Amino acid sequence: MTTRTASRTIEDTMIDPSLGLPTITMAVPMPGFPAHREFVLVRLNEDGLLYAFTSTEDPDLRFLVAPPEPFFPDYAPEIEADVFAALNTKDADRLLLLTVITAGANETTANLMAPIVVDRDSMRAMQVVLSGSGYPVRAVLNPVY
Amino acid sequence: MLVLTRRSGESVMIGDTVVITVLEARGDVIRLGIQAPRDVQVHREEVYRELQASNREAASPTQDEVRAVSKMLHSPTTSD
Repeated sequence: MTTRTASRTIEDTMIDPSLGLPTITMAVPMPGFPAHREFVLVRLNEDGLLYAFTSTEDPDLRFLVAPPEPFFPDYAPEIEADVFAALNTKDADRLLLLTVITAGANETTANLMAPIVVDRDSMRAMQVVLSGSGYPVRAVLNPVY
Repeated sequence: MLVLTRRSGESVMIGDTVVITVLEARGDVIRLGIQAPRDVQVHREEVYRELQASNREAASPTQDEVRAVSKMLHSPTTSD
């Protein structure tokens, strides 16, 4: 109960006026994008299956992301305690897992080795490298039927 | 490149907070222990480079690519 009340307060104060979406702060920048710390999650379809993780500092920078569950039902990455610490996570159930999608001419792939983990209470996120997990950086993404 | 010689059990410091300790050296395999603050990410270089390349490739897809992926991930009733 207390967690829920706290989360509402945090989200209310972090609303970005230009987009009307809560700002997500990277606890650690994404590899390759050291200068980009703040993002918003823009929903791209009604199913809630595709989002654009969009930089607020540079709206031209965005990543297609999706919740992995519908596409990779067996995907169950283990999140280490140091990630909880970096995201100020109090309740692991409030973590949102998003996989980064690479749209290619021939195939579309999902990065299962390094999902973006968002704490919906602290609104902090990081791309977690699951080293030693054996999950691929480029897993072919197939439509859900 | 700075080159230092260390024995097992000895360390080097990078800045004030990162400590790298040689735990064991056996032939061409060397085990390192790394102590770093939480906001300093430590990765094997090849893993980091692969992730960096993958992120750069994934960044800022074109409108057509977004449309194609969105269509692909849509429920079957709306596709084609």
